[in-house]
Amino acid sequence: MTVRHRIRQFFFPSFTPKFLLRVCLVALFAYIFFGHLCIPFRIQGISMEPTYHNGGVNFCWRVQYLFSEPKKHDVVTVRLAGNRVMLLKRVVAREGEQVEFRDGRLFVDGKEMEEPYVRYACDWNLPPRQVEKDYVYVVGDNRSMPIENHLFGQASEKRITGAPLW
Amino acid sequence: MVKIRYLLIGVLIVILGIVIVVTLFPSEEKRVKKQFHLLSEWVSKSPEENAFTMLQRMKNIGTLFDANCELKVPDQSLSGSYTREEISTYAGSARSHVSQLDLKFYDFDIAFPEIGVAKVTLTARLTGKSTAGEQMDETRELECRLRKIEKKWLFSQIEMVEVLKK
Repeated sequence: MTVRHRIRQFFFPSFTPKFLLRVCLVALFAYIFFGHLCIPFRIQGISMEPTYHNGGVNFCWRVQYLFSEPKKHDVVTVRLAGNRVMLLKRVVAREGEQVEFRDGRLFVDGKEMEEPYVRYACDWNLPPRQVEKDYVYVVGDNRSMPIENHLFGQASEKRITGAPLW
Repeated sequence: MVKIRYLLIGVLIVILGIVIVVTLFPSEEKRVKKQFHLLSEWVSKSPEENAFTMLQRMKNIGTLFDANCELKVPDQSLSGSYTREEISTYAGSARSHVSQLDLKFYDFDIAFPEIGVAKVTLTARLTGKSTAGEQMDETRELECRLRKIEKKWLFSQIEMVEVLKK
């Protein structure tokens, strides 16, 4: 088989049963992988700046918490009614822990948390509250906006669908 | 050869019949979804919208709701029961404060717990720009109840689901 013939075969393959089977298998794999295991998503919003930028593209790796639970400082995706729109947040506390914001600093169980990922000035104040059983406390990295404009709080572990790939 | 031709014509007629039936007699799920699409269309606003279109849309929004619709919003004074007229007025007032508005619904989960009642869980995303130039971006999970009255599905309850509890 000449090189020219191979190139032509690559771009204009003959529709043999073997080729059609291969196409079907690739399509099935892509549907399962990108539709259920590694879902591509586009970041819309600035609540995770500067770690994740508005307009950035990433993948939600759904296998991440299949056999483990989200840990503190993990960035997770939180589902709403389904998987088409999800929230991207960071876990700052786990069940049973007490969360509090004092002058923009985060305290968990009374101890100030080191948060190298928070780069912008913050002046939030939030009275202490305990994280309920089977819940995690999630907050965005960008806390420069007023506290009432930032979507954060306790999310049920059942709503944690995965983690961004990078 | 003639038999194959008749078979093909038969298959085509069956497909055409299915398409006609699906188009002319949509399922209850499709009818419910249509109400959301209409709500999305009439709530959304483009910067070029004229006064006549605005009035028409305000009037139309009211027709999607039951005589009394209950709104349940956590931690906000908006909760309560509203008449169609009140909803139209509030929608008009809210739309007048924005120059651009886009309401979209995702991840529909439709169930019919009893005859004439539909329970819909979905994600709603509202983006836009206020007349002062401020950007808006709100994403919430909603649980809606619609009642079938005179062959029309009408919103009778809208509840905002608290995904992140502060």
